[in-house]
Amino acid sequence: MNLPILSLITFTPLVGALAVAALPSRYPHLIRRTALAFSLLAWVMSLVLLAAYAFGPTGFQFVEAHNWIPTFGIRYKVGIDGLSILMVVLTTTLSWISILASFGPIKDRVKGYMISFLVLEVGMIGVFLALDLFLFYIYWEIVLVPMYLIIGIWGGSNRIYATMKFVLYTLVGSLLMLVAILATAFAYQVGHGGSWVGAFDFQLLQQFAASGQFGDAFQNLAFLALFLAFAIKVPMFPFHTWLPDAHTEAPTAGSVILAGVLLKLGAYGLIRFAVPLYPHAAHTFAGPIIVLSVIAIVYGAIVSIVQPDLKRLIAYSSVSHMGFVTLGIFVFSATALQGAILQMISHGLITGGLFLLVGVIYERTHDRTIAKMGGLAATMPVWATVFGFFILASAGLPGLSGFVGEFLVFVGSFGISPLIAVATIIVMVLAATYLLWMFQRVAFGTMSDFLKGLGGHLTDMTGTEAVTLLPLGFLIVVLGLFPSLVLDLLRAPAQAFLAAAGVAVGG
Amino acid sequence: MTFLIPLIPLLPLAGFAITGLLGREMGKQSHKVAVWAVVASWLVAMLVAFGALSHTLGFDAAGAGIKLWDWIPATGFHADMGFFVDPLTACLLIVVTTIGMLVHIYSIGYMAHDEGKWRFFAYLNLFMFSMLMLILADNFLLVFAGWELVGLCSYLLIGFWFPRRSAAEAAKKAFLVNRVGDMGFALGIMAIWTQLGTLNMQAVFAKFAGVPHEWQIAIALLILCGAIGKSAQFPLHVWLPDAMEGPTPVSALIHAATMVNAGVYLIARCNPIFGTVPEVMVIVAAIGIFTAIMAASIAFTQTDIKRVLAYSTLSQLGYMFASLGVGAWTAAIFHLMSHGFFKGLLFLGSGSVIHAVDGEQDMRKMGGLARKIPITYVTMLIGSVAIAGVPPLAGFFSKDEILGGAFKNGFLWVWAIGFVVAGMTAFYMFRLMGMTFWGQSRVDPEKEHPTHESPPTMTRPLILLAIPAIFLGLLIGFPPESGLLHQWLAPVFEATITASGRTEAAYSFFGIDGVLAIGTTALVAVAIVMAWRLFGVNMPALGLHAEPRPDRVRELSERQGLAELYRGSSHKWWFDDLNNLLFVVWGGKLAAAVFWFDRTVIDGTVNGIGTVTTGAGMRLRQVQTGRVQNYALGIALGLIAMAVGYILIAVR
Repeated sequence: MNLPILSLITFTPLVGALAVAALPSRYPHLIRRTALAFSLLAWVMSLVLLAAYAFGPTGFQFVEAHNWIPTFGIRYKVGIDGLSILMVVLTTTLSWISILASFGPIKDRVKGYMISFLVLEVGMIGVFLALDLFLFYIYWEIVLVPMYLIIGIWGGSNRIYATMKFVLYTLVGSLLMLVAILATAFAYQVGHGGSWVGAFDFQLLQQFAASGQFGDAFQNLAFLALFLAFAIKVPMFPFHTWLPDAHTEAPTAGSVILAGVLLKLGAYGLIRFAVPLYPHAAHTFAGPIIVLSVIAIVYGAIVSIVQPDLKRLIAYSSVSHMGFVTLGIFVFSATALQGAILQMISHGLITGGLFLLVGVIYERTHDRTIAKMGGLAATMPVWATVFGFFILASAGLPGLSGFVGEFLVFVGSFGISPLIAVATIIVMVLAATYLLWMFQRVAFGTMSDFLKGLGGHLTDMTGTEAVTLLPLGFLIVVLGLFPSLVLDLLRAPAQAFLAAAGVAVGG
Repeated sequence: MTFLIPLIPLLPLAGFAITGLLGREMGKQSHKVAVWAVVASWLVAMLVAFGALSHTLGFDAAGAGIKLWDWIPATGFHADMGFFVDPLTACLLIVVTTIGMLVHIYSIGYMAHDEGKWRFFAYLNLFMFSMLMLILADNFLLVFAGWELVGLCSYLLIGFWFPRRSAAEAAKKAFLVNRVGDMGFALGIMAIWTQLGTLNMQAVFAKFAGVPHEWQIAIALLILCGAIGKSAQFPLHVWLPDAMEGPTPVSALIHAATMVNAGVYLIARCNPIFGTVPEVMVIVAAIGIFTAIMAASIAFTQTDIKRVLAYSTLSQLGYMFASLGVGAWTAAIFHLMSHGFFKGLLFLGSGSVIHAVDGEQDMRKMGGLARKIPITYVTMLIGSVAIAGVPPLAGFFSKDEILGGAFKNGFLWVWAIGFVVAGMTAFYMFRLMGMTFWGQSRVDPEKEHPTHESPPTMTRPLILLAIPAIFLGLLIGFPPESGLLHQWLAPVFEATITASGRTEAAYSFFGIDGVLAIGTTALVAVAIVMAWRLFGVNMPALGLHAEPRPDRVRELSERQGLAELYRGSSHKWWFDDLNNLLFVVWGGKLAAAVFWFDRTVIDGTVNGIGTVTTGAGMRLRQVQTGRVQNYALGIALGLIAMAVGYILIAVR
């Protein structure tokens, strides 16, 4: 039996979106629950997929391929390896959590919101599954539209500026990506005597690349275009300034998905496409990219220290944390790459949780200014405890997932060049500084006048809010103590990545 | 019996989980689970320590371990979740679980009226778990995990009374300063992995001789970084005095008897590493002995009873570092153990004093408390005599071994400074005793009335700690340099000592050792008498009586030459001010400058491009004719141009 499980997972949220569209807007509760039900269904299916996935072998599993635009050899081709399945599970997990977390805060135009969210989920899952470059591009663009709507319609006061920046930035990247994809397909077609068959097929393209048939100059141009598209999404220094604006204006769930999944699309693209298709160029530019990553790690942390707004602080901290991901990719070490991917997952869980927790406060105070807070540990002890937990996870406390990812990147980089680790290690102190100082100002001390003025509105976390955070906290602990659950899945992809990049795998 | 080892940390972890989740509902009984968890952990630890020290129960001289699971099995990296117990671990187990248990019991009384009591006991249990992880870990990464977790518990407990700004500040400072040291430790672990391909400590030690010498030095220095942070040695000593913002049982347990010893433990544990790099050993000795005299000089002028003890802790830890540095390994662990007991006693005693005078910590507002809180007084007196180094109490033997080791291993300068510090220690301790217990009462009249001895849950731990403060030296340190402790630890340090070529001559009381011991004791006696004459004494049983002479103290502190020293000491040699300027003021300015750069230069460029684009768009609007043919033409031309461009490049 060949159940097209990947397509089923991808299009379950789409069915959900259609179902929600069919419901009358006067039943917001029904709409919310329907959306939640479909996102939960997609989540369960992704877990089944994880259980069915065979750990050992390299290569893609559950591959589905159908002709789509045969004239140009474009196909609907999807498949998973250890990397993409983890990303899909991360996406489905954060999606239902985000939808549940939107139950309270989103009161206007619930229907449109839920449709946007479900379509967003389709796009995100699709990106991680696509094995055809054109299909990948389509999904990539699908993600952009609902996110644009979510920030632009349900966002904060300065949302128009933030969305324009977000969209223009990403569009520039997308266009460069399209050019790179078309050019690559052209080059493949030229190399195959004008036949378009397989010109967009990732696996065939990679074989073509592995046989060294893309010229060096071509590789450099194509790589740079693709790299720029992905670097904007990650975002890497110096293409990061759209992120704080987008985060500040996005509704809570938008921030969770933005930080949790959207940033990972860029990193995923680098690992899956940019390096394996243009290995020579990847090596050529690895040096500068490593430097940019180190700058991002330290710079993001320094800028985080002086942020006055909770969400901006977490946004800049994401720049720092994602720096570990790009660093881990471009030092070309199996250890560091596994760390980078673990860091992608871990950052999704931790930062997703932090945004949810800030959302809890925003719901009650309609403010996120750190200076206006104070003494919340006494008034909202449960919230403060959970917030403290996620803060420590973000600060890289051993025993939690963030530590394992960052340490593996560190130790892998140290093996390549101790200088990288030495230049980066200061982040241990900087991260603790911005996180603990923020926590101190928000939770410790006595209650601020601003909060006193709000008086009765400061109830502790509700059951629903706790339910959104519990699975994240659970996974952070489990992956901190048993990272082998993820690392075992990543052994094959890491080897495949290094083989494609032309690096001999050690250890 | 190695299967018992995991129980030692897991019992307090279970206690933490139960108390943390249900403590609020347990109300007055919220300490029960936590205390019993630690008592049970103590029992198991005693059994394991007995096995490890007597080489029975499945342990041999080299120790025994148990691996639980593959913690981080990445491609090209590996770390286990596993424990290892040898005689050194056993010594630490005795100190940590015994003092930990007594502090838990003491806290039942001390925290009885605090509404956050459940939280306090949950944190204490979490600390016990972390500290036990640290000493039981069989690999460097797991040590590091325990290392960071004890730092976290220290953070939580220093900031326990978080509405108080100073407590929150001190908690953050402790965590950050510790992290500065931890950066070095983390890099050291990476270096060890890169050089040796394993993090298992026994495997690392076995192979360490094969590492290139410059890497040996780097690794030792990086580990030293971590040790300096955790054990609050110069220049990372600044967090420990501020840590006294935490409840006093915390000061006793974490900031005197256990966590701050972690650095000493780590260097002792890594003796096969440090043994190969004598040049780093000198640095260890120098940092230690400098911290010892610097901190002792500050303790002279502090008026907060807990801060005096905090600086005293710094100073004694300095002794331990000096001892490690000169290669007197066993003496360092000996002092770690005896100091753990008598400093734990002194801190708990100071807590009892503070309890009695209703939260007052300023010794200038104490005095004459000896009659009112007799049990506290007698036990603290024992602690003071012990730390001062009066024979035959514990501190005498351990300090004597350190000074003797320094002298006989050829570190005369370490010995000379250490000798002076011994006198200073005796002086500031009896200054503390005089200001607190003797002379006339200076307690606020309204706080005077309820002055009372603490409840039995608090005094009994004091009595129990006084016993090792008196007898520990005789028990495990006598005869000197060949007592029980030396026999226990011989398997741990023997190889390193032999390799260093510094096999000591046997202890000879009628030789150099006796001369050194008598010399130190004489100095201590003089220092104590000086303290008595300035700050008073009243021990009728011994026929000793002197009134304090504050006018004489003031006159001395203003005398030419002494006034500057006095000022430096009371300002803690301005280290806090320097750090504030460097990291808070200048660091803050740097961060603000970087943020300005981000908004103005980087984001400004982006917005600038946006503006230019908008302008260009206005012009290009005229191209939009609304005629589809024109658009189609444009698209076709664009695609052709692109395709031609890339084919040219691709074919080349």
